Amino acid sequence: MFLTRSEYDRGVNTFSPEGRLFQVEYAIEAIKLGSTAIGISTAEGVVLAVEKRITSPLMEPTTIEKIVEVDKHIGCAVSGLIADSRTMVDRARMECQNHWFSFNEKMSVESVAQAVSNLAIQFGDSDDDGGAMSRPFGVAILFAGCDEKGPQLFHMDPSGTFVQFDAKAIGSGSEGAQQSLQEQYHKSMTLKEALTASLTILKQVMEEKLSSTNVEVVTVTPEKFFHMFSKEEVEEVIKDIS
Amino acid sequence: MSIMEYNGGCVLSMMGKDCVAIASDLRFGVQGMTVATNYEKVFEIGPQLYVGLPGLATDTESVLQRLKLRVNLYELKEGRRMQPAVLTSMIANMLYERRFGPYFVEPVIAGFDTKKQQPYLASMDLIGCVTATDEFALAGTCGEQMYGMSEALWQPDLNADELFECISQAMMNAFDRDAVSGMGAIVHIIEKDKVTTRRIKTRMD
Amino acid sequence: MALIEPFAGHTPMQAQRFSPYSDNGGTIVAIAGEDFAVIGSDTRLTVGYSINTREQSKLFRLSDKTVLASCGCWCDVLTLTRVLNARLQMYNHEHQKEMNTPAVAQLLSTMLYYKRFFPYYVSNLLAGLDAEGKGAVYHYDPVGHYERNQYYAGGSSSALLQPFLDNQVGKKNMNGVVQEPITRERAVAIVKDAFISAAEREIHTGDAIIINIIDKTGVKEERFALRKD
Repeated sequence: MFLTRSEYDRGVNTFSPEGRLFQVEYAIEAIKLGSTAIGISTAEGVVLAVEKRITSPLMEPTTIEKIVEVDKHIGCAVSGLIADSRTMVDRARMECQNHWFSFNEKMSVESVAQAVSNLAIQFGDSDDDGGAMSRPFGVAILFAGCDEKGPQLFHMDPSGTFVQFDAKAIGSGSEGAQQSLQEQYHKSMTLKEALTASLTILKQVMEEKLSSTNVEVVTVTPEKFFHMFSKEEVEEVIKDIS
Repeated sequence: MSIMEYNGGCVLSMMGKDCVAIASDLRFGVQGMTVATNYEKVFEIGPQLYVGLPGLATDTESVLQRLKLRVNLYELKEGRRMQPAVLTSMIANMLYERRFGPYFVEPVIAGFDTKKQQPYLASMDLIGCVTATDEFALAGTCGEQMYGMSEALWQPDLNADELFECISQAMMNAFDRDAVSGMGAIVHIIEKDKVTTRRIKTRMD
Repeated sequence: MALIEPFAGHTPMQAQRFSPYSDNGGTIVAIAGEDFAVIGSDTRLTVGYSINTREQSKLFRLSDKTVLASCGCWCDVLTLTRVLNARLQMYNHEHQKEMNTPAVAQLLSTMLYYKRFFPYYVSNLLAGLDAEGKGAVYHYDPVGHYERNQYYAGGSSSALLQPFLDNQVGKKNMNGVVQEPITRERAVAIVKDAFISAAEREIHTGDAIIINIIDKTGVKEERFALRKD
């Protein structure tokens, strides 16, 4: 390992002779240590579900926030270095408000992804005074939202690449979860089906036993926009899958 | 702020077929504050002779009093009614006497010339420069608005009823876009053998 | 008392103060219908009593759904519309879509307010179709206050025309009339009548008018001669 990657894996501004940026690739690796997050886009709306790792019984589970509201009509789930994600969510929120201020309309999900991607690739920008990061962000983000094009789901990784998905899993259990999503997803899925599917898959890939305290569930629909499920609502969904 | 706009108010007059109409708003104010809503600015000088005196209210009163004095003297001396054109010349002379310390009023004179048997309409500036017309004449704080309305609504040879509708609409819509005019209007329609006076209710703001 | 007195009979030379604004006149009018909007401007450009040109349209087509009318200080109009067009193009590239009329309306307000303390000396009217396809008219003050209206007149003859529109389009001071949606033909006719009246009394307005009619099929242009004196 050290033989092939010697020297070129330190600087974020230096390509390896094979044309790779190792720091970016390592950042992508960092995601695979994060908790699993799943997003499913249906015609009725988008579902986001994440696991919360309760590492100690003395921990207060509600303070782990992995799905956040960006604007009324957009939410995002994050996996990886959560501290890094705060910066990116702040940018996403700021861009949304800025767009509303300038144009008096909702920012589209794709544009939010684009704006955050611009931030994600600013690492190593040394002439940027102070604001830029010295390394790539260690997070992957799922953007879920409803705009004039309808419900949409976007995935973005530390390289700043963003792609639209029907269904996408990120984090430690993403490989297995993505496989299951591929099997279960179909275009005519209802929001309710997507909810149960997301939690069923999450249950399969989680090490701990799935409960209403160690998952977070959000739907983004054209009617109710961003909606974070309460403990009771989550229990209601869990009832159906066990 | 111009002294002509201190009290607010406006007068509009229009010629029709064998008739002439003259109207004023009813507001009296001190700059932005409305003091009265029954202040007519058109006054009867003879049976078929009216003069509108919009401008500074204190001068409206003074000019009117001096006018009445001179008209009375004229009618006693001559033993006959004053014709509109004569009144116009008289007011013009009266105002020009104060060329360098003028009364701040812009008179509009509307009447029926009983000798020529035709309606008469004239207006002048505050120092007595006369414009006689057979279309429309106006003065007051919403002059621009009244010009816009009159230019669009007025046409020659309107009969008395049509003329009333025309002058009322022109007046009301004009002063509704002026903060210091309005609060209702009064319209006199002067015809060969009669004068019809109507008060119009408008928005009170 | 001044320390240095001027020579007897002479006043000291004073530099002419730079005045950054000029009023180039012009009048603009817009009316919104159910599914269309009509917007018009005269084509006369003036400085004081002189006429610079008799054929300068004050309408700016921003898209198939939005037309801006702008008058006042002409150099400010030119700059504002150039910056606005650039902003629209940037939006197109960033968001892969055309900006709709309410968004342009907000953007214009933001741009005007951005110069709150050295304003663009312009009257703006924005006409077009909103997101639902309904006719929309927005009017602005020079520093970005804006409001959506059914009709509005701006520019040097605005005081002459606004009460006329109140009466003929807004049916103000009319008893017993049912407010029914204005037809395209009537809206165009009112705009023409309005300009004819304005040209009659107001010297900064005249020569001709350009009318744009905006509906879902796009923008149609019409020209109409006014008095040229």
